[in-house]
Amino acid sequence: MNARQLDPIAEAAIDWLVRLDSGSAGPEEQAVFARWLRADPRHEAAWRAIGGLFEQPLAELSRAEAHRPGQRRAARLALLAPARRKVLRSSVASLVLLALGGYVLNRQPPLAELVADLRTGTGERRRVELADGSILTLNAQSAVDLQFSGRSRLVLLRRGQLLVEAAALPERPLIVRTEHGEVRTLGSRFAVQRTDAYSELAVLERSVQVTTTAGQAQRLAAGRAARYDAAGIAPLAGSAAALAAWSEGVLDVRDRPLAEVVADLRPYTRGYLRISPKAGALRVFGVFPLDDPGGTLAALAETQPIVVRSFGGLLTRIEHRDEAG
Amino acid sequence: MSAAHPVAELYVDHYPWLHAWLRRKLGCTHLAADLTQDTFVRVLGAREVGQLEEPRAYLMTLAQRVLFSFWRRRDLEHAWLDALALQPENHAPSAEDYALVREAIESLDRMLAGLPVRARQVFLMNRLEAMSHAEIAAAIGVSLATVERDMKRAVTHCWLASLDAAMPSGVP
Repeated sequence: MNARQLDPIAEAAIDWLVRLDSGSAGPEEQAVFARWLRADPRHEAAWRAIGGLFEQPLAELSRAEAHRPGQRRAARLALLAPARRKVLRSSVASLVLLALGGYVLNRQPPLAELVADLRTGTGERRRVELADGSILTLNAQSAVDLQFSGRSRLVLLRRGQLLVEAAALPERPLIVRTEHGEVRTLGSRFAVQRTDAYSELAVLERSVQVTTTAGQAQRLAAGRAARYDAAGIAPLAGSAAALAAWSEGVLDVRDRPLAEVVADLRPYTRGYLRISPKAGALRVFGVFPLDDPGGTLAALAETQPIVVRSFGGLLTRIEHRDEAG
Repeated sequence: MSAAHPVAELYVDHYPWLHAWLRRKLGCTHLAADLTQDTFVRVLGAREVGQLEEPRAYLMTLAQRVLFSFWRRRDLEHAWLDALALQPENHAPSAEDYALVREAIESLDRMLAGLPVRARQVFLMNRLEAMSHAEIAAAIGVSLATVERDMKRAVTHCWLASLDAAMPSGVP
């Protein structure tokens, strides 16, 4: 550990420090300590020096704790976390790294956003491991707020799509809430999509309970998918896995209108992506890479009666061949 | 600093490749510029710069240390934000406390560097969360004597490290 020798006075001071903070030192021991302290000025000097080692950081943490409880506990967890250098080298984690890099440079981050919100930009997917062991994967242009407490783990899906791998905690349900209702689990894998009009749920492992804001509830098993809004819950035909395929970076389309496919490509497209109603009604099959929306549209144009026109990358218009003339 | 200062020459000659090297490690040119500056600040703190025989190797060693402590601070912050994410939103520290708490965590981490994990755990439970030895023993499933031994080991470790840090050394 350290080659340096400990002198006997320092050793005695350390013994006292440990003893007096053990939680079982009685009044007699304190009296013995007081005598030791007065016996020699070097005793007091050693006591002050060693006791003062942690004084400043502990005082800062206590001050922060007094303002907002939980700081000391968070500090302990941080100090016990293993080094993550290797993890941070992976491409997914580097997104987190870049986000924090932004913090370091700006010095004045929007704090609530860093701590409570997770967001992704255009074309960005992000996988985040939470301290309870759950893993959230956000699709591009998605945003969630986290409100975790001792009794529940609440994830507010504000925008976009989210894949949840919920760590099993029997006492603390994990809840994903949108304005259309909430999905509740004690531990499972599922995906939720929020749109302005409705939310969709696809269950991949075990089962979850969905409850609409109007109070209608239903249990959904693995492999099932449903669309829900204030009015009710409707089962979705097709594969739950296909609905969550975005988390693997692909769009798995099985007999869906082209308008929905284009909606799924929008979070990956920097400019505007517009589609005419007639083209949007075409039915589409296929598996497409999400990270190359231009290539996906080109591939679609080969098999569908559509014309794709791009205007300097700012606007892409998709029309039926009959309309395009 | 005059143009004749040896560090000024070193700076002009070696800034470009050092910055490029750090940029490859970090993937961010601004951050790399910050850490390149930090590396030269460390050079200023060292002695006998004028007699460097292998300036590249010397700078690389310093830059690696700068990089390592940067990663460590980043890891700590990341782990801390994770821990906070599990708490209700309003329990995030205020903006004023934020910097101080980060500093406090970093300074505890430096003191505890190199200490075995269990002793570190025992020390933090006792000092940070005011748990008694008996509570710690019950929480992690070891004997009271082990808790006491770990506590002494941890405090001794911090004390000896502080004595080492107070000693002057050739390389900062």
